[in-house]
Amino acid sequence: MRLVLVDRCEQARRNFYPLSLNRPIWELRCGFSSLAEKLTGKIGAQDVAYFVPDYMADAYRAQRGGAVNDLSALAGDDLLILDGRVKADALDIACAGSSEVGVDAEGGVVYARIAKNDLPGLDAEDIDGFISSAKAKLTNVKCSYAKWEYTWDMVLANPEQITADFAAAGRSGIEGTIDEPGAILGSKKDVYIASGARVHPMVVIDAEHGPVYIEEGVEIHPFSRVEGPCYIGKNSILLGAKCREGNSIGPVCRVGGEVEESIIHGHSNKYHDGFLGHAYVGEWVNLGALTTNSDLKNDYSSVSVILDGRRGIDTGSTKVGSLIGDHAKTSIGTLLNTGSYVGAMTIIMAMGKPLPKYIPSFAWFIEGVVTKGFGRRKLYETAKTTMSRRGGKWTEAEEAMWEEIFQITAPQRKKAVAKGRKVMMARR
Amino acid sequence: MATVEERVKTVTAQVLKLSADEIKNEDNFTADLGAESVQSIELVAMFEEEFEIEMDEDAALSVETVGNAVEFIASVCKEQGVEVEE
Repeated sequence: MRLVLVDRCEQARRNFYPLSLNRPIWELRCGFSSLAEKLTGKIGAQDVAYFVPDYMADAYRAQRGGAVNDLSALAGDDLLILDGRVKADALDIACAGSSEVGVDAEGGVVYARIAKNDLPGLDAEDIDGFISSAKAKLTNVKCSYAKWEYTWDMVLANPEQITADFAAAGRSGIEGTIDEPGAILGSKKDVYIASGARVHPMVVIDAEHGPVYIEEGVEIHPFSRVEGPCYIGKNSILLGAKCREGNSIGPVCRVGGEVEESIIHGHSNKYHDGFLGHAYVGEWVNLGALTTNSDLKNDYSSVSVILDGRRGIDTGSTKVGSLIGDHAKTSIGTLLNTGSYVGAMTIIMAMGKPLPKYIPSFAWFIEGVVTKGFGRRKLYETAKTTMSRRGGKWTEAEEAMWEEIFQITAPQRKKAVAKGRKVMMARR
Repeated sequence: MATVEERVKTVTAQVLKLSADEIKNEDNFTADLGAESVQSIELVAMFEEEFEIEMDEDAALSVETVGNAVEFIASVCKEQGVEVEE
């Protein structure tokens, strides 16, 4: 059986911007791992194919390897085609069985289990047509599997997911080094420190309210406090961090200051003091010293987030921090409002005031307004430099993908730049 | 209608808080007129507004002198079909 993950619905993908601009939704993380790892683990799939938006297919293939937007993956084996937004925990599809298509209340295809024998009768010119054809020709069943709807769903689910992932991993104990003096609060059964990880002196690991999982090669510097549930990914460094509950960090991150209930993708840095709470941070991000986000409004009302540059979406939660896209960089002293959206490839030069809640991708926020700044090529140069410092590589495929993203995000950026121009003109 | 040169000098003077009379074509924006990097971005933005054109950031920000800016903007105006007084 081949698992085929599909992420082609543009409308659904927008709910995960800016993080989904340059990755399929299943590469978002919650708990210890990505949504893809959870889905493939739950299904037990060895053979996985991926269908992503065309503009990111080459970059994703270069990054991940394997079958990406490869129509030959729709032949030769039984298939389980699955919407990549389905929550793995809820999934209980039998991999073997007669062909059937799971359809949600809106008529969308959530999954399609297709026996090899039924494949020749389906239209396989493209993945979207293939799925439509399966829906039209095979048995339909009603299906109500829960799906991830927005990025902040993962942030809010993260503490529970870490706890569940810790239990599933089945590891505990100290395989790495803990320098004395230090303290572990709670049961050591709720702590795992992998081989090659080092916890320096004067560090408190508090597992009283949830497990703490520290991966290989992690270094936790003195005067850090790590509260569970918490997951620290491989080769990350905590620098005197107040790492509050519910964080998933790394791999290869540098994190200091106060961080609470946040998900930080690989190779991102928040080296210095400043508070980050209920935030979702993409890859290759750098948050300058004292960058701080609000995650709670003064009136304790639910937080709204603007994803399209126009309308706020009520998250239904009183605690939502920032969504920060890949390669974003903030200057010292950046203040992010509750439920802020910081686009991918964005440069923030703060002015001491809270920023607007929506900063589009590829924007240069300078002197209090969104500008075109030094342009996207300068951003690519910076991205290249950033990646090379950590052994990453900026590829032609990646640049081509970002060029498409530049076009996709142009309308919101143009609007914000025009607004900024009015402010500039008024200052003259 | 003012010429491209006059309009470039007026915008430059406004952004850099100078007198337009003091600005010469051979002046370098940074070395002679003291433009900082942030002001360079503002200059490009204000030239685009003044002439109702869109400039490539890399090309625009590589222009060093006022005279070169006049030539560059005149050529962009021509390319984009914007009528100006040469």
